[in-house]
Amino acid sequence: MNGPRVTVSAFTAVLRRDLHVFVSYRTRFASQLLTAVFSLTLFYYVSRLVHVSGFPSPDSYFAYVVVGIALVSVLYSCFSVAELVRQELVAGTFERLMLSPFGPIRGMVAMSLFPLLYSFVLGAVTLGLGALIFGLQLHWSTVPLSLPAMVLALLAFLPFGLIFAALTISTKQGSVGTSWVIALISIVGGLYFPISLLPGWAQTAAELQPFTAATEVLRHLLVDSPQEASLGEALAKLLGFAAVLLPASVYAVHRAIRYGQRRGTIIEY
Amino acid sequence: MSGSRHAVAVPEEGVAARADEVAAEQGPALELHSSAASPAGAFPMALRGVGKRWHKKQAPVLEGVDLTLDLGTRTWVGGRNGAGKTTLLRIAAGLIDPDRGRAQVWGYTARESRARYQRLVSFLPAGDRGLYARLTVRRQLEFWARIALLRREEVGDRIEEAIEAFDLAELAERRVDRMSMGQRQRLRIAMTFMTRPEIVLLDEPLTSLDAEGAAVLERAIEQLLDRHGALLWCSPIGERLEQEFDSRWLLEGGRLVPA
Repeated sequence: MNGPRVTVSAFTAVLRRDLHVFVSYRTRFASQLLTAVFSLTLFYYVSRLVHVSGFPSPDSYFAYVVVGIALVSVLYSCFSVAELVRQELVAGTFERLMLSPFGPIRGMVAMSLFPLLYSFVLGAVTLGLGALIFGLQLHWSTVPLSLPAMVLALLAFLPFGLIFAALTISTKQGSVGTSWVIALISIVGGLYFPISLLPGWAQTAAELQPFTAATEVLRHLLVDSPQEASLGEALAKLLGFAAVLLPASVYAVHRAIRYGQRRGTIIEY
Repeated sequence: MSGSRHAVAVPEEGVAARADEVAAEQGPALELHSSAASPAGAFPMALRGVGKRWHKKQAPVLEGVDLTLDLGTRTWVGGRNGAGKTTLLRIAAGLIDPDRGRAQVWGYTARESRARYQRLVSFLPAGDRGLYARLTVRRQLEFWARIALLRREEVGDRIEEAIEAFDLAELAERRVDRMSMGQRQRLRIAMTFMTRPEIVLLDEPLTSLDAEGAAVLERAIEQLLDRHGALLWCSPIGERLEQEFDSRWLLEGGRLVPA
């Protein structure tokens, strides 16, 4: 029996493929690094100007927002699977996944791995640059704990990307809405400012998705921000979202594929 | 409605051996059925009463199509542009569902056992799509071998075999977007055959191929038939074909008629 071994090999093949494609665009990493530096610079000077109750010093707001910036790249990576599926449909390579014993569902989960890992790296680099250039104070004793917390957060975020990928397969339009959703989550997820500043209904919306909890947990572990809820409560919330949404999103992908197969449009875009 | 040169009998080696190999890889739950173990009268591939209609108000593109592929035979299906050849192949490959009827490999549909079906059937779609432009030939082959779930110890050998058999040695480290259309087609054909499928479905395989490329394809087909595989080749009427086929059919008005 070598089933699990060949399956792992297929997952790593997709990961390696995406790495090779990424590396073939030589300036991409440098360009994203520059974007991170510009964002950090912008928010560093904004933090010098703005004095908000709840943030005792400009540095505390800067620390708050740097974690938000790092999480935005993770957020983008989770939704990128929809765009990747669209690209595969356009290039005709999705057909390869459909025709392979590995299959399209595992293929789609596998193709989300590289963006997720890359967003880890980009997030870490953003925090590192924040510390090196702008004197961000990381809370080193709890920084290692942020890694498993981040993995849990990703498991809670990934279903959103898979659902949009399912929409892309069934309607050929799903990836269009991802930028809207990411913008909305950036607002209600407390990435750039505390959700307590939002109107009541928006605060309710903030509680109905996993990003707010993940942001809070990671801020607490990375820069020792105070938490509204307990750490355990926030982690349980993330776990709950992952446990419910992951199977649901995989089922949505399965249904979308079956729908495309019945209509005969599965490999068209 | 099947080719008749070879009787339907599974040899001890070849297909049956491959069946055992796949079954061993997938475990008892996915035990592969050769004709000895499959439902009575099962063929390597059979299309039974296949119908497909794209729009309610239009005539069906396929209507009650029956076709069986026997061991060690090559079958040609021709037709005018838009006759439904690609639709037929996509249904046979398990990519899309028919509205009526079914496509089966050894008595099983892709719906019932997708992974097993895809291990046994390999499909070369028409055109030049399905390649990653920024990957080299070797990486493309490796990617395909791994998502085809070949055993890890087999992957390296299969890649080298494919590079040699399809005359890709000089191109092995070249990116696909820097290759000609004919070279890309050779790579696509190499990917179709490298997993040693039992059934190969080819949609206009001669597209962009020069004489040398066509000869390479012919050798691959001969090897497939030598190991008791089956071939279905679709191309438009009027394409000059030098290959011999065991059975020839035309797709007209959604139905297969002898050519």
